[in-house]
Amino acid sequence: MSEPTKAISELFASRFGERVKLGPMVGGIVSAEVEVESWLEVCRILRDEDEFGFEQLTDLCGVDYLSFGQSEWDTDDVSQEGFSRGVEGLGPGRFNWADRPEAAGVKQRFGVVVHLLSFRNNHRLRLRCFAPDEGMPIVPSLVEIWSSANWYEREAFDLFGIVFEGHPDLRRIMTDYGFTGHPFRKDFPLIGNVAVRYDPQKKRVVYEPVEIEPRVGVPRVLRDDSRYKADEVDQAAEATAGQIASDDAATGEQEDQNG
Amino acid sequence: MGMNNPVPLDSVDDILRPGADANPLLDRGMVTTSLDALVNWARTGSMWPMTFGLACCAVEMMQAGAARYDLDRFGVIFRPSPRQSDVMIVAGTLTNKMAPAFRKVYDQMPNPRWVISMGSCANGGGYYHYAYSVTRGCDRVVPVDVYVPGCPPTAEALIYGILQLQAKVRRESTIAR
Repeated sequence: MSEPTKAISELFASRFGERVKLGPMVGGIVSAEVEVESWLEVCRILRDEDEFGFEQLTDLCGVDYLSFGQSEWDTDDVSQEGFSRGVEGLGPGRFNWADRPEAAGVKQRFGVVVHLLSFRNNHRLRLRCFAPDEGMPIVPSLVEIWSSANWYEREAFDLFGIVFEGHPDLRRIMTDYGFTGHPFRKDFPLIGNVAVRYDPQKKRVVYEPVEIEPRVGVPRVLRDDSRYKADEVDQAAEATAGQIASDDAATGEQEDQNG
Repeated sequence: MGMNNPVPLDSVDDILRPGADANPLLDRGMVTTSLDALVNWARTGSMWPMTFGLACCAVEMMQAGAARYDLDRFGVIFRPSPRQSDVMIVAGTLTNKMAPAFRKVYDQMPNPRWVISMGSCANGGGYYHYAYSVTRGCDRVVPVDVYVPGCPPTAEALIYGILQLQAKVRRESTIAR
């Protein structure tokens, strides 16, 4: 991560003022945070004005910042004994549908990230905007500015439940017909709430409550194999070699004396 | 012949020339066989699969059908329609959203029909067993005859599965019950 150049900072500061806050460059792309109130206005300027010229929206996605920075994996010191002892099993996704936790009040829980591309200036830009209301996250739709945002916004709506105000056709795009919930939210259980099965009596596929228990995946780590004994073997070999060498020297001395 | 699985090593697996070494009728240009053997010979020799590639296993299925392994040699010719198919090769991850369509395709196949479940996902959910959107095995939706393990199974493994299905079909008897 590095800081954007002075020219870029001054350009954004002079054109947008307080509405856009420049962050560090991540992966060589300038990142900026935009207030939700000026989301549409800023994006329109970025597309239309020549010094920006971002004709194309290459990506739009949602982000859920619930439990951001927390981990169910203690990988610093406990994992010396094997990963399974490092798992608490309480992290996001590891619970039944019925036991799903109430979403804790997180300020700025849902974000929308877009990536823009300017062919004319050979620039890329990353914008982020937070939905103000965590219970009903609403962000203005970018479809009228970049039509490529259409299906991306449907995806973010489907998986995160972010509502894009002004979207012409905000339907689910990926999940099952009649699906309940938004599966990429951190408080959505990984195993979901329904499973399918063919019912021979009804002669159709039926939905039933999920019957398996959630599970914490534990990678199998072997720490007793020969790789970890290399040091001992080496030391033993060195000791033996030293022993032989000293024996040889002693024998040689004897032979010298005899000769 | 026919009734043995696997076929004994020293016997000629020629379903239309039973007892070829010691049968005097063969010298006269005549053939006797059971109708079941004839039917099974025809069925095993032209198992046309319904193309049902769902994920990466489908690439391996294509490889089995392509020049090097050439499933055509086994009379396996991929069909784009369930009405023309005898066997369905479920190659890939079956999701909940796909399951009703999958069952509908199976229902459209004429009898007799068989199903080969290819790969971990189709066998039991595999990598996605604990996922919210994946059916934990295609045998929850249709009856399965042969499970081919692997993630994905090699083209050779799929061909072995097809040969196993042929062996299974050879043991069936349609006339004699």
